[in-house]
Amino acid sequence: MPIGGFVISIDPSMEKPILKNLERFGDIEIHGTDDSGNIVAVIDTATSDEMEKLVKTLSRMDGILTVGLTYFNAEDEIEKIEAGEFVPKISFGKKNN
Amino acid sequence: MGLSRREFIKRTAALSAASYVGMHLPFSLEGKARAADADRWVRGSCRLCGVGCRVDLGIKNGKAVALRGVPESRTNLGYVCMKGMLFYKILGHPERLTKPLYRSTKTDKFKEISWDQALDIAAKQFADSVRKHGSDSVAYYGSGQALTEETYLFQKIMRGGLQTNNVEGNPRLCMASAVGGYLTSFGADEPIGGYADIDQASCFFIIGSNMAEAHPVVFRRVMKRKLDNPNAVKIINVDPRISPTSRIADMHLQFKPGTDLAILNAMAYVILEEKLYDEEFISNYSTFRQSKKVEVDFDTYRKFISDYSPENAAETCGGNITADNIRQAARWFAKSNGTVSMWTMGINQRKRGVWANNLIHNLHILTGQLLKPGADSLSLTGQPNACGGVREGGGLCHILPGHRLVKKEKLRNQVELAWGIPKGRIPPKPGYHTMAMFSAINAGKIKAIWVHCTSPAQSLPNADLYRKGMKREDVFIVTTDIFPTKTTELANLVLPTAFHFEKTGVYGCTERRSQITPKAVDPPAGARPEVWIVREWALRLARELNDPVIKKCVEPFIGKEESFDLPKAIWDEYSQKLTKGRDNDLRGATYDVLMKMADGVQWPAPTEEFALTGGTVKKFVRGMDPMADSEARDDKPYQFYGPAHPDRKLWIWLRPQQGPAETPDAEYPFYLSTGRIIDHWHTTSMTGRIPELMRANPYAFVEINPKDAAKLGIKPGDMVEVKSRRGTNVLPAKIYEGPIQGMVFVYWHDMFEDRMINRVTKDAYDPGSKEPEFKICACRIRKVSGPKPLKPYIVS
Repeated sequence: MPIGGFVISIDPSMEKPILKNLERFGDIEIHGTDDSGNIVAVIDTATSDEMEKLVKTLSRMDGILTVGLTYFNAEDEIEKIEAGEFVPKISFGKKNN
Repeated sequence: MGLSRREFIKRTAALSAASYVGMHLPFSLEGKARAADADRWVRGSCRLCGVGCRVDLGIKNGKAVALRGVPESRTNLGYVCMKGMLFYKILGHPERLTKPLYRSTKTDKFKEISWDQALDIAAKQFADSVRKHGSDSVAYYGSGQALTEETYLFQKIMRGGLQTNNVEGNPRLCMASAVGGYLTSFGADEPIGGYADIDQASCFFIIGSNMAEAHPVVFRRVMKRKLDNPNAVKIINVDPRISPTSRIADMHLQFKPGTDLAILNAMAYVILEEKLYDEEFISNYSTFRQSKKVEVDFDTYRKFISDYSPENAAETCGGNITADNIRQAARWFAKSNGTVSMWTMGINQRKRGVWANNLIHNLHILTGQLLKPGADSLSLTGQPNACGGVREGGGLCHILPGHRLVKKEKLRNQVELAWGIPKGRIPPKPGYHTMAMFSAINAGKIKAIWVHCTSPAQSLPNADLYRKGMKREDVFIVTTDIFPTKTTELANLVLPTAFHFEKTGVYGCTERRSQITPKAVDPPAGARPEVWIVREWALRLARELNDPVIKKCVEPFIGKEESFDLPKAIWDEYSQKLTKGRDNDLRGATYDVLMKMADGVQWPAPTEEFALTGGTVKKFVRGMDPMADSEARDDKPYQFYGPAHPDRKLWIWLRPQQGPAETPDAEYPFYLSTGRIIDHWHTTSMTGRIPELMRANPYAFVEINPKDAAKLGIKPGDMVEVKSRRGTNVLPAKIYEGPIQGMVFVYWHDMFEDRMINRVTKDAYDPGSKEPEFKICACRIRKVSGPKPLKPYIVS
């Protein structure tokens, strides 16, 4: 289960509604905010695929300017993939179109 | 109470993010065991763009399990993008190449062979070709992703050993025009300043670059500067397509493709008309040039620029361009406390890419927006080592290591002396540039080519034409790569290599900064570092051709351990012998120093003592650049000692508007442009194998302006044929208020034949830089069906 540390940069005038919106996502922990529009958050998702999707969703939200990743740990997911307990959902092949 | 392992990692993640913005959190991990996180962290550079972000790779039980940005790094200040965060998944990927593969004819299936067999075959094929057809029948085509040690050693064997300058690389496709621009405007390649200027700039002029997607970490820095100073900092974005970069702009100038030179000249017009230029700077440090040999005066330049009134330019450029917004852009540019221009392929990949670069530099020279904090004309590089390895290390057909021109005998002799090979060994004639090289393959003139760490079968413009040559049975193709690609499909010999962090070497990023990445994990069994491959190949070549000079080229490296000692010996030779006294003097950037520095060294850095300060933040400025002091000819604060301008001046160029090689007409009424998407890197041979990135953008699509789509009855998701005089794609439509009306845009990463847009692009190129005009050609579009289910495709 990957864990990421993020600095989410926002329009400071929209801090309250953005924080309220972020509360709707169970995978996001808010650790702090400041007056310059920085939100320190930790995202903990079931897969890194889900984290990627969540980051994209956040990036598109009103008032959010960037979602900057600073730390990423995926040890658990790697162990699961190696143990055959989790298979990434995508596959490739020459016959695909 | 003890923390669980996951709680520990979460707190680590939170503290890491908080430290970047100076936020204090109500907990710390002082005194807690660190083993839950990683056994050890190895510091290196990210591999997936030219920014040069520094990262720590977390290793546990010999495997990469985590990644974090390096806050002390002046390149990325600790931030990394999602693409960078996931690159570690390439390490140990099940589709990695691990065995040398060989087939004598291209219709055969590959069979696995041993490394000894593979190297014997490669040596015999190149030796046979040289014996039968001469030295210029062989070629090397490399990459801005190869380590400097790799590019340097390859080109040494080709030039000093096999006596050919047929040494090229994919940076010809992306930044050759920037090289031409810097050399002709400033007399020296690569930018004067760097990213540090972003933090002090008051105006950003972003032209022909979607840096939000292609260079997200630098974009974040620009945005931070803007957010901290919302009124004082202005951002001008100039692009025919509205992109994610445009959303932070105070002004977006959307123009008809190929009319950028008119906009830039019109801004110069306003600067002259409103006397916004820096007269003292111009008279002290610049001249006006009509050609290399024809110098003109300010009045001649003024007369030339009089054709480019904002009113005239607005008419030429179309789109939303008005005389008023050109005037406003020029005022912001000239009057700010510091202006930084940034551009990428939108400027470089043009039939007149060098001219476009010159005209950006003109604006900086005219206004004196150079050499001071917060001001620079900063070309962003696309690949992690296009600057360090290829531009500096001698990776193009006309340049030797240390920014030396092949055609200058004195400079060739310096290299021959450094290598200890006979004088006259390096041929005087530059080799084939990229498009000429692949044309020579088509013509059967090149019989053996080594393609390293790149996929020209997908990345060349008008790709079908050049794939014909690569399919010829009388052309022997060796590839070195980590995954199968569209080019390995056309190869005879495929050699599996070690990946980033599985070997040691140096990358040089956009801002003259060299950074080391040491080996952190073992490559998959069977994959080898390229420097070992080249050394062993050269020893066999020497035996095949009975030529002791070839052996001499690798003699200093024989017996060296391959993961650290061998690349160190190569770097030592290059940096100590080949950059000594050159403008990219790297003698102070030894492996010892590079291993100590969080973020490497900016050249020139002639001594270790100076390199340990970080090197030269601003080139040409006395007191900041040691060469500006050692090469000074007078008391002026700026000294332009670059090798290309003997008059030691900055050159303001008279360059007229010139359109693209192909413009729309009745048969092909649309402009086609191409570019990158945030999730993917180049031809997706790597990022396409990372499920998270591939799922986000599994296939290319064609962006169509809503007004054009309505006229043609095209709806979102419809399958659309994009056809040019060269080829056809069929892609799903994205109806998007992005491209200007009359233009469509396609991402170029997709490997699937029907969505491989370089089958459609044009292979016209800049006559100076020889860089192709990927960004503009004519096409027509039509709906062929409604939406269809699609699947991603990767060569396997």
